[in-house]
Amino acid sequence: MEVEYLVRVMFRFDKETVDKPITSQVILEQGVPINILSAHMNQRGGEILAEIDSRSAEKVIKAFREKGVTVDVRRLIEKDDELCVDCGGCVSICPMDALTLDEGRAVTLHEDQCNGVTCGLCVDACPQRALRLIG
Amino acid sequence: MKDLVESSGVKVALRDVDVVTTGTFGAMCSSGAVINLGHADPPIKIEKAWINDVPVSHPGAAVDLFIGASQMSETDPFEYGGGHAITDLIGGKEVELRATAPGTDCYPRTRLEVTLTKDDLNQFYLINFRNCYQRYACATNGRDEIIYTYMGKLLPHYRNANYSGSGELNPLANDPDYETIGLGTRIFLNGGVGYVIGEGTQHNPTTGFGNIMVKGDAKAMDPEFIRGASFTRYGTTMYNGIGIPIPVLNEGIVQKLAVRDEDIYTDVVDYGVPRRGRPTLRKINYKELKSGRIDVNGQSVKAGSLSSIRKAQQVSEALKHWIEGGRFFLTAPIERLPSDTVFKPMKQPKGAAFVENIVHEAVTCTEDEDIEAVAARLINRNANHVVVVDGDGRLAGIITSWDLTKSIANGGDGLGDYIVRAVHTASINEPLEAVSKTLAEHNISALPVIDGERRVLGIVTSEDISKLVGGRVLG
Repeated sequence: MEVEYLVRVMFRFDKETVDKPITSQVILEQGVPINILSAHMNQRGGEILAEIDSRSAEKVIKAFREKGVTVDVRRLIEKDDELCVDCGGCVSICPMDALTLDEGRAVTLHEDQCNGVTCGLCVDACPQRALRLIG
Repeated sequence: MKDLVESSGVKVALRDVDVVTTGTFGAMCSSGAVINLGHADPPIKIEKAWINDVPVSHPGAAVDLFIGASQMSETDPFEYGGGHAITDLIGGKEVELRATAPGTDCYPRTRLEVTLTKDDLNQFYLINFRNCYQRYACATNGRDEIIYTYMGKLLPHYRNANYSGSGELNPLANDPDYETIGLGTRIFLNGGVGYVIGEGTQHNPTTGFGNIMVKGDAKAMDPEFIRGASFTRYGTTMYNGIGIPIPVLNEGIVQKLAVRDEDIYTDVVDYGVPRRGRPTLRKINYKELKSGRIDVNGQSVKAGSLSSIRKAQQVSEALKHWIEGGRFFLTAPIERLPSDTVFKPMKQPKGAAFVENIVHEAVTCTEDEDIEAVAARLINRNANHVVVVDGDGRLAGIITSWDLTKSIANGGDGLGDYIVRAVHTASINEPLEAVSKTLAEHNISALPVIDGERRVLGIVTSEDISKLVGGRVLG
């Protein structure tokens, strides 16, 4: 079953790209809604933090990159190793296998698996409040 | 020990090993601490008290308090509780104590506010009345929504499962007949020394769900092995680390110490059914649980642990070092734990009511029916909700009289556009408190009642519940 998430991405515009209507073009060309969370712009450049449906994230990110925009898929989950007691309350919740128990039964966060996914399902599943969303 | 028994046999293990240390580290809600504050000047006979805004009970005389791990802060409930306050004290942090009192001739003071650390306290004893379960049920959720439980966050449609307990490392699982663990057994309790003071509440030995009551000096405990914890929308609790040494006295004990995860069975239970008798889906052993994937109704489901096996190993290792270093001596129990205690359910209280008590036949229709026919049926039956079903009587949606009015006003020619398809539902054995919560949370007025195959059994409405609360049914 394909599960849908919102992928949180940062679009960075430079002097060349900031005055072009790139975001609108991508939305129209791809026919995909993009939820803009925050935007900071001036003539020299700027950033847009946005959320995209996970099923269309790949093609949207590609379209922005082709138009010269730098796209950062934000790291979103941070694990506080001081607070974590390696119980594993987060492990069964994670749909991406980004949280696993390693050989020594320590909870391990695989950031590459989790990248950009704002599902955040694990955050309130942690009894020690050792996981938090960042970005 | 387990490997040694497998490789060299029971006799060699008995000859070569004196003591086996065990350990567990998990959420144990029925934990708490007794605190004696000493007397203020002028003195107070505390009536109500709070530590860091967590209400504290005052079961004894003037300045004796009991702080329960699952008591929640009044200002930060569900996040901060007694378990956190106890852990903060153990970690050397300052806590705020507030207290009020009626004032008496001998204890004239009526209010008190003071900042305390553990060094300011006389006694600070952990007294945990149900700890260290021999095994625990594995929880999953058959409902169509996420539920938040003391077994963690459970995804809908059995999409995950959570278990607790350290399996073959668990103290009581290694002494299932309670031959060496009993009243007076000295134990590792949260990094300090503690004692077993008897069977725990709800001790259930005949089904293999035994547990113990323990006490220990909290001042000597180590925050590495005791933690406050928060279960979202359930509340607060406390993680305890308990290690128990088992003396290798005879071959029978060796054989029991050789127990493996695959020998320790528990139940996979559907926590989606909010009843005392939650349905058991299957039996499962700790080997399968610890593998991280289990089979539930033919699906492979991720299984997560709520207790820390890594910490349990650290507890067991720490206790081993204490014993080897001559810092910890084993005791013989002065009384064995009972092996025949029966864990009874509560005598049924008055006032409990379930969907089955008020469910009634739903007005139904199929999607292809005429609006007029459906509207006439609603009027005839004096109802406000029509449950839409497919050809097999399975739930397809719901339409309210308001939706129907809208469709007629708009001159619509089909029901299709007005059917609400994401329908909240109830099951026949659900308590009405749970139904009321669903109705209120989603601001709706009725729930179709369905079975496991989504066949419509009837409907419950807020009107039915109002009548019940009004006394018509309960009398």
